[in-house]
Amino acid sequence: MEDQILALTAEVAAIKSAAQVTNTMFAEMYYYVTIPLMVLIHAGFLLYEMGATRVKNVLSSGMKNLLAFAFTIAAWYLFGWWFYWALPTWPLDFSAGAGYMEISGLEYANAIAWAWGDSAQYMGPNMADNASGVFWGAFALFAATTASICSGALIERIQTVGFVICAIVLGTAAWGIAAAWGWHADGWLVTKFGYHDFGAAGLVHAVAGFFALGVLMNLGPRVGKFNADGSANHLAGHNMPLTVTGLMLIIVGFFGFLMACIILPGEGWSWYADKGTTIYGTPMTLSALAFNIPLAAAGGIIGSWVITRDPFWMMSGCLAGIISVASGLDVYFGSTVIAVSLVAGMILKPCADWLEGLGIDDAVGAVTVHGTIGLFGLLVLGILGSGVPGLGAFAPEDTVAISFFGQLVGAVVMFLLGFVPGYVVSWIVDKAGMLRIPDAVQEKGLDAVKVPAQAYPESMVSAESDS
Amino acid sequence: MGYFAESFTELYNADGWIDMGMYIGSGSSAPGWWTVIATIMLIGVLVKGNNDEQDHYK
Repeated sequence: MEDQILALTAEVAAIKSAAQVTNTMFAEMYYYVTIPLMVLIHAGFLLYEMGATRVKNVLSSGMKNLLAFAFTIAAWYLFGWWFYWALPTWPLDFSAGAGYMEISGLEYANAIAWAWGDSAQYMGPNMADNASGVFWGAFALFAATTASICSGALIERIQTVGFVICAIVLGTAAWGIAAAWGWHADGWLVTKFGYHDFGAAGLVHAVAGFFALGVLMNLGPRVGKFNADGSANHLAGHNMPLTVTGLMLIIVGFFGFLMACIILPGEGWSWYADKGTTIYGTPMTLSALAFNIPLAAAGGIIGSWVITRDPFWMMSGCLAGIISVASGLDVYFGSTVIAVSLVAGMILKPCADWLEGLGIDDAVGAVTVHGTIGLFGLLVLGILGSGVPGLGAFAPEDTVAISFFGQLVGAVVMFLLGFVPGYVVSWIVDKAGMLRIPDAVQEKGLDAVKVPAQAYPESMVSAESDS
Repeated sequence: MGYFAESFTELYNADGWIDMGMYIGSGSSAPGWWTVIATIMLIGVLVKGNNDEQDHYK
């Protein structure tokens, strides 16, 4: 009998060990898969941006987008990852000490997020660490997404290296700090104000959108965009099918982006042994996303169709629909999602027109789609989700719930985290003579001046280019 | 530089792989030096790229 119990005990231990290995490998695979899915966002932005560009500037726009992707990821490795872990409690705790969950602060970040010294063991191959790499990769793609969002607004007149510098600041400091404050269980926006932003409507979209606005104010419009009386001309991109297909690819990537916002169970870094959660430790399932993302996409497309009848704005509305409910994808009911995303789709074009009326040349509507609609989504959740607990069961007792006030504070913070760095860094870059491409070069066409290749060597010669 | 083991057997115990970096140069100052080199290369590329770009606009 005793032998049988011992044998059974050993067998149970072996089964538990095998189950843990399976769980660990599944978790690693889960986050790993989100990374190539998010690369599709960049494939989409690449097509979107190039399609929205005139023939004479196509390759230049594509090159700028690719470099933003590349430099942002490299910079995220070198120092961006550190911002996320170091600053959740700062500046409320000016010394940036550890928060309640003890996975933040200068000491913690120095131990895991630098690519030198002892922390380097978590920044490269480590057979006992199946988490750091895939989390870093997912966050790196979030960082690159912020840069790509900003990129489209600035096409056809921003210098390449000047833009790369802006993109690095956005993808590391601005997004990293936003995520630390509002997308971390120790983040002060979360613990003190109940800020809730499951799908990063504020953290990624609003920050990137308003960063773009800050840059646009220093950059100025494309040559020919505005007339002397202030009225605007429509500078049509050369390939609407490319743009619309790109937008659809971005939507595909969003499924990976949002999938990466779930914390799986059963690991050392999980909130629970048997329940998936949001990054805040609140209840979450993939099924919630399966309901709400397609419904939001549908609502956004329909809402934009009602107002514009224009496929460009319908696909932009698709993005806007998802962004408008991204903050609360974990708590919204499907019909609520349809209603909110419909409104987002309907207000999109009027908001973009209003911005253009102020003399801002946002070539693809990024400020409105990502910035304005991102803030709209945060505030709507503040109204509809008021009272929902802000953190999971392991949170400190004084954690506050979601409220309109908390979401409003978060919205203001996200606006400032985007706009202020965008304005300041582009102002500095401008003073260094690295921001705006000279008007004469814009008129000639950027590809002819600085790209040793042709987008369409045997056809589609630009009527505007004298090259 | 160099690799820290001739065999992985010694690194494996009953609980699984030992929690440590398993890349070339792990445990030495090499990761830091590679980080310095990569940083300098990236900054150099930006400086050179900007100089070339300004030439295009003249």
